[in-house]
Amino acid sequence: MKTTFLLLSVLATAPAAALFAQPAFEGPAPSPAVVERPELRRAAYHQRIDEVLAWRVGQLKPADALLPDMGAIAAKLARHEDADLCSRSVITLMKEPGSGPFWMFPVVSVAFLGRDQLSPEARQAIRRAWSSGMQLRGDTENHWAMYYTSLYLMAELYPDEPGTSWYSGKSSAENLAEARGYLIHWMDLATTIGQGEFTCSHYIGEYAIPMLFLSSWAKDPAMRQRGHLMLDWVLADQFANSLNGVLHGANARSDDTAISERWNCLSSFFSWLLLGNTPSPAGYGGWGVYFAAAAKNYELPEVIYRIGVDRDQDFLQRDLKRTRRRWRNSDVFMAPIYKQNYTRRDYAVGSYQGGMSDPIQTHAWDVTWAVPDPRGKHNTMFSMNPVSAAFDMQTYFTEFPDHMMQGVTKEGKASYDSPDKLLGGSRFEQVFQDRDTIIALYDIPPGTRFPHVNGFFSKDLVNLTVDPSGWIFAQGGNTYLAYRPLAGYELLPVAAIKSSFTGERSHLGDQRLYSPHLKNGTIVQAASASEFKDFAAFQAAIRALPLTFSLEPVPTVKLRTLRGREVVVTYGAAPVVDGAAVDYAKWKLFEGPHLNAEKGSRQLTLTHGHLQRVLDFNTLSITDRVLP
Amino acid sequence: MTKSASPLCLLALLALAAPAAAEHDLTLCAAINKNYVIGSKLVTPNGLFRRAADGTFAHFGLNFPGILNFSSDPRDPRVFYMATLNGCVLTTDGGQTWRIGTSWDMTEPKDVCVDPNAPDHVYLALPDGIAVSPDRGATWPRRETGLPDRGKYTQTIEVDRTQAGRVLAGCESGIYLTEDGAQTWRRVLPARATVDDIQQSPHDPKLWLAVTQSDGAFRSPDGGRTWEKIAGVPADQALYNLAFDATNPRRLAIASWVYGVLVSEDGGLTWVARHAGAPGAQHVFKLGIDPDNGRLYASLHQDCINVSDDFGRTWRKAGLEGSTVYNFVFVPKAAK
Repeated sequence: MKTTFLLLSVLATAPAAALFAQPAFEGPAPSPAVVERPELRRAAYHQRIDEVLAWRVGQLKPADALLPDMGAIAAKLARHEDADLCSRSVITLMKEPGSGPFWMFPVVSVAFLGRDQLSPEARQAIRRAWSSGMQLRGDTENHWAMYYTSLYLMAELYPDEPGTSWYSGKSSAENLAEARGYLIHWMDLATTIGQGEFTCSHYIGEYAIPMLFLSSWAKDPAMRQRGHLMLDWVLADQFANSLNGVLHGANARSDDTAISERWNCLSSFFSWLLLGNTPSPAGYGGWGVYFAAAAKNYELPEVIYRIGVDRDQDFLQRDLKRTRRRWRNSDVFMAPIYKQNYTRRDYAVGSYQGGMSDPIQTHAWDVTWAVPDPRGKHNTMFSMNPVSAAFDMQTYFTEFPDHMMQGVTKEGKASYDSPDKLLGGSRFEQVFQDRDTIIALYDIPPGTRFPHVNGFFSKDLVNLTVDPSGWIFAQGGNTYLAYRPLAGYELLPVAAIKSSFTGERSHLGDQRLYSPHLKNGTIVQAASASEFKDFAAFQAAIRALPLTFSLEPVPTVKLRTLRGREVVVTYGAAPVVDGAAVDYAKWKLFEGPHLNAEKGSRQLTLTHGHLQRVLDFNTLSITDRVLP
Repeated sequence: MTKSASPLCLLALLALAAPAAAEHDLTLCAAINKNYVIGSKLVTPNGLFRRAADGTFAHFGLNFPGILNFSSDPRDPRVFYMATLNGCVLTTDGGQTWRIGTSWDMTEPKDVCVDPNAPDHVYLALPDGIAVSPDRGATWPRRETGLPDRGKYTQTIEVDRTQAGRVLAGCESGIYLTEDGAQTWRRVLPARATVDDIQQSPHDPKLWLAVTQSDGAFRSPDGGRTWEKIAGVPADQALYNLAFDATNPRRLAIASWVYGVLVSEDGGLTWVARHAGAPGAQHVFKLGIDPDNGRLYASLHQDCINVSDDFGRTWRKAGLEGSTVYNFVFVPKAAK
């Protein structure tokens, strides 16, 4: 069924976004430097909020008798403008309600922003729309975050009403209890064994926006606090995985655009708005207006701001996440994800251990380098196995096998069943990371659809050199990169997906390393240019690294990394570093200089310099400290 | 799954009102939602469609693209339960009003079945197990003792019309049988992948057939206790559902995306693909056989309904353009 593949980008795309001035999108790239003075940060934040709302309102034509959509109404209401026009528009739009969480949460924003502005008739129209057509709950974690946050807030807004007045057939109290039950369950999962849809290039919005709404508008102080805690939690995690505001891998879910042009996604809207260190995507990411409309209810804590912006010190985070629900074809319902993030001023290396976090949009690892202006830049390098399989789809979807692979390509994941795709995870990939060294090994069974490895070589790489040693050297920004394919390959031009819905493609100058060997692997070593006298010195250092590998019976690599670590990585076995096997069972929920949490703790400690904030779901408290 | 709904009820009604009980309403669980993405307006009808006298299909009740199956109370067909994307949705007034009976902890049930001998009991096939309502959908406790921790993805659930609380469930890891109202389950057929449909013969209540995703079709001559593979049915690709012809015990049919419509006219000894002339040919999603006249219906994925009056030899379009039918349900008219 279509709804199980569920898409949103078409709904999120801002209408005619490029036709109107968007200073944050069209102007100079902001400085990535830390703004030290809080009053300047706050003023700039409010200015950015106002920019989003002004732009959204500026899209409207003066001659229009009605506002076209909820985004426009939300922007008007947030600016306290044209209440009568908003009311009339709401009444018209509510005659034909939508059918799921992507309709629900925009309406919630209007319902709450308009509590004191909309006419009684308009508010009644909203209320009626929630009593008739059934709202689809969806089938993903982000759908449910939106659905249940929306239902919770509306049930609070309209308490003590009978089941006959709600689309669900349940009373206000029943809806409230169900929504609260799910939201607490989800928060429990996220704060004990990790987020499911972690560090997503787009779906961060589907969590941040509902949590902002919950923290802004819930009547119950406990739920309001939960919303605030969770918003801090997801934003801290997201921003820790950004470099100058640009989200890097690994990502539970990404998309065909952001997989290469890393900046071009909704995540960058949040970086722009809350950190101010990168341009906003076009149209403020589409959904951005809904966050902006309530954003003055929230102020990013300074410690998260600094975690997100300050890149003076290298840091390594090791975090625990989990996969999407596996209905079948798996020994576990949700498998653990062991995620790493090594970030430096010039580049970031991120990964998880391979396999599939999500059936379609997983991105298991990359090296992403810093660029002065990320717009249009493909500042990343990675490899992957582009498997396409009904088996994988059935693991995560409750569907029959045969229609899904074709169906999903028509529903916003155009590349899914393409051999040249660059987006997606594979059961046949295992990834090891030690700081800025990646070893990705592949053991692809014969008969697999698309049994090869695709490596991404950006148009923005310079000094690309295929070395007789077997290494491929290149430079991206101030980052030197060494890429070692373990089997034969050829470099082919990439026909990039321009539209995830139409599948339209264009040649932007990127190349795809195509390696058709079932037993395969990729080694990538990154380093800052400043560490070496010149590019030649980096190449010499890489050539000098002791490296042995074999592909039969399974790929195995023995390497001394550029950082002097002796690593042995074998497909299907625990990696060994300096003689000790990596024990993922000891992985904490968060471990690093900035984010720390024990597994099962429901408590996250955020630290930057002397600043510390503890988010505690056990006591529903936030504690700020200045460390000595 | 095709439900020749409530056969025991049908038999009882035959005794009470023989002339009327031979007629059935055909109700479809279907969606006509091409280009629909969640959140957008529903511009086409989806959900339940009832066959009119002229053979056309009219939508009724909830407009919802995720109604996959339904089962009615034999005491009152206005009471029915729908397996939907949102959980089990129930109505007591023929679909004019409804209520989501389950909560957040149950999602995407694939099948629902009322026990005809204990109609307060409703069985729900979930992607993570099985729930049973003992109180007409008011509560939904899980009933999974005997099911494996993993491998309990449940695609289909069917109550034995001869015995209250005797139920067969088609799961990822095989067919499971309960004889105590789901207090305990035991596996009666292992499978490598999901069992997609299980049906009880309208002619012989001991005879059951099942189709699977990767193991072919199976036959049980003893009420589901033991199973034997049906030799003539291909097993490399998924089989989606099956149907008995209530008018002819020798006629059986199986739907498959890859194989199309497979039919047997000798009680399952031999099988032939019989979809020539049906647009789309293969990509058959579900089929059903009218218990009144043996008319064979087949739904092609996002295409239309096709009907055959000669058991698949020739086909004609039967409406609902653009639809996918998730289930054909024949409800005894006399039950009204």
